Amino acid sequence: MTHDPFTVLGLEPRFDVDLAAAEVRHRELSRALHPDRYQGKPAAERRMALERAIEVNAAWRALRDPVTRAEALLAAGGVELDERAEPKASPALLMEMMELQEELAEVRGKRDAVGLRRLGDTLRTRERELCARLAPAFAAARGDAARLRALLPAVGELRYLRRFFEAYAAAEEELAA
Amino acid sequence: MGLLEIFDPVAAPRPIGIDLGTTNSLVARMRDGAPVAIRDCDGEALLPSAVYYDERGQVIVGREALRMAPAHPRDTIVSVKRLMGRGANDPETARLGTIDFAAPTSPDEARTVRLRVQGRILTPVEVSADILRRLRELAEDEMHSVGGAVITVPAYFDDAQRQATKDAGRLAGLEVLRLLNEPTAAALAYGLDHKKNGLFAVYDLGGGTFDITILLLDDGVFQVRSTGGDSALGGDDMDRALGRVLLEHMGAAEDASPEVVRLALDAARRAKHALTDREEVALELPRMGGGTATATVTRAELERLVAPIVERTGVACRRALRDAGIEASALDGVLLVGGATRVPFVRRYVRDLFGREPLADIDPDQVVALGAAIQADLLAGAGSTGEVLLLDVLPLSLGIETMGGVAEKILPRNTTIPAGARQVFTTYADKQTGFELHVVQGERELAADCRSLARFTLRGIPPMPAGMARLEVTFHVDADGLLTVKAREVTTGIEQEVLVKPSYGLSDEEVERMLLDAIDHGEEDFERRKLAERRVEAERILIATRGALAADADLLDASERKAVETALAELTVAVAAGSANLVQAKIDALDDATKEWAGRRMDRAIAHAIAGKQIDEVDATVAQARGVDEQVAEHQARLPPGARSSQTGPTGEGS
Repeated sequence: MTHDPFTVLGLEPRFDVDLAAAEVRHRELSRALHPDRYQGKPAAERRMALERAIEVNAAWRALRDPVTRAEALLAAGGVELDERAEPKASPALLMEMMELQEELAEVRGKRDAVGLRRLGDTLRTRERELCARLAPAFAAARGDAARLRALLPAVGELRYLRRFFEAYAAAEEELAA
Repeated sequence: MGLLEIFDPVAAPRPIGIDLGTTNSLVARMRDGAPVAIRDCDGEALLPSAVYYDERGQVIVGREALRMAPAHPRDTIVSVKRLMGRGANDPETARLGTIDFAAPTSPDEARTVRLRVQGRILTPVEVSADILRRLRELAEDEMHSVGGAVITVPAYFDDAQRQATKDAGRLAGLEVLRLLNEPTAAALAYGLDHKKNGLFAVYDLGGGTFDITILLLDDGVFQVRSTGGDSALGGDDMDRALGRVLLEHMGAAEDASPEVVRLALDAARRAKHALTDREEVALELPRMGGGTATATVTRAELERLVAPIVERTGVACRRALRDAGIEASALDGVLLVGGATRVPFVRRYVRDLFGREPLADIDPDQVVALGAAIQADLLAGAGSTGEVLLLDVLPLSLGIETMGGVAEKILPRNTTIPAGARQVFTTYADKQTGFELHVVQGERELAADCRSLARFTLRGIPPMPAGMARLEVTFHVDADGLLTVKAREVTTGIEQEVLVKPSYGLSDEEVERMLLDAIDHGEEDFERRKLAERRVEAERILIATRGALAADADLLDASERKAVETALAELTVAVAAGSANLVQAKIDALDDATKEWAGRRMDRAIAHAIAGKQIDEVDATVAQARGVDEQVAEHQARLPPGARSSQTGPTGEGS
């Protein structure tokens, strides 16, 4: 990532960033930088505005997702992001994910819309709890690399949940069709 | 009647908005601050998207062409939009219709569908260009000089379909300012007209395509939250469903000639229209082998036939709501766009789906073109619509095929555009010296099930063990939703860069050749047109630069200012002289002279957006009292470091 999304949007770097405020900021910056505003301007200026607009859009996209938001905070604190080098997931987490996968396969097989919705609620609650735990932890780390590194397992957990959520969304789509 | 406009031979070219539809097309422009449709000499605004090619090479577009269709079903092309950007083996070519498709003679040719018309081979791009040319003429009749066009496309059009539309615009001699998504255009026209804020769904069922877009209207900002649809679903499919039934009545269910198919489809369309207000309609149809058959079609029967078609829209709507993260109850309104939304069954279906009565106080046929005219006006800098901004999204995910044929998504659907992302890939075999990249678009897991946009190979990588090479792939999607891909190998120090525009369909050379063919008088006219285009661009840049001088001259030091003014003067002189190349050279020189200044001005704009207006107003006063450098330095100090550099690249995500 070229630039830290918090910096690009001119926001204080915190995990529990005010997303509504971030959206407004994204919109204000878009007003200033969107290619529509540079039509008919010299080519160099158009290119520059386009790149900035892309950067602003990417920053907003990164902040909306808790995983990329966490990664941005880690990167800003100098923690290298390499999933392969990060601590392995705990056996308890792996077990939990396997159980969730089985449950998903089952409701998918039975085309059980109610069961699927229940699974979705479980996932969302799980993610919300994890985020609530991460917010004060990030704040307490104050950008210190060593303390941020200690948060890697929790961020890894968030990633697992997110990936599982994608599988869940695919199942949801399949059942809706 | 409006007031007579006095012909002014040096009138500034004015932009237009075009709705290039499957069934009908339409051109609109701004007049006295409001968008209006341009009418032909018969007072008609809708131009049927039908093109008849006669044996002498004459091209007839519109109602006249439709009249030729029954007698010349092979030589009258209708609904060509459904074929845009599609390959020769696309399922679309197998549907009930009258077009004579030419079999491809090479794999290269198979990338675009070709039609056999009067012994000639035509591509959908050329047929669309003929429609656009007619619209351009209509606009020129009224406005004398057309300066750029916004052309609308279905939101769910993929990259190849968008590129094809843009090529058609170029071929028709139009400067395409922007491709605008149809639902967004409709929302723009509706939102500005009704001054409403809130969360809206635009349900756009046209002759050939379906779009659903969820967007937020907030004080002039039109922010698309999600979009979905089907680029092969519309009123045409309803006509086909009923047409099949009518063919049975005619005793021509098998092996019907193109004439008979055309007749059945036209009768089906008329019946569909009539059943909007009536419960039942009787059709007199010729029977094969002589005599006539009377077929009675009830609204109930039509509804039974169209139900499966309309229900397919529900799947896309539910997904769009899910992608936007909202329930239907959170919407403030549902807009109906497209002629097929006149079908009572569709209205009922939409009402039940969204749990509310859709808004019907707009003309579903015109609203898209009106929105395009507004956007064209905004882009041309006429600015009569003030603080309006459209933030649209990528309709379908973009990705790369990786090991095992899996499509790895690099930019997910519903990403706000313009967008960029960077991903690093590596080799899987030892001593691998080439990378094959396959760019795909779509939501399916396997690349083979997605739309293939481009394939290219990055060569010349020194032999290394597997996993050592690092290939960086950058995706760039511009505000038209068009993709550019760059790839480079970064570890070896040998930087290779490949720039790829997805080439599904026509190559740049092919379009260039068609462009030359289209100009009767060859080279000389081509030169003259190039000069005219350069001049228009130069005029725009002159205005923009003078405006910037008036607003931000304080960001230039004395010598920089002199350089800008010199470049301005030279470009002004060049415009008066008669060479396209000279004008271009002076445009480039001005570009150079203003580059750094542009960066500073952008920084100021960003600071303004972040800090709010008050501080900037204070700045303006302070700036007058102080030297330029001091002021610039202070500006930069206040900006966050990320916003300071003037050489930022596209931000990438991923590994």
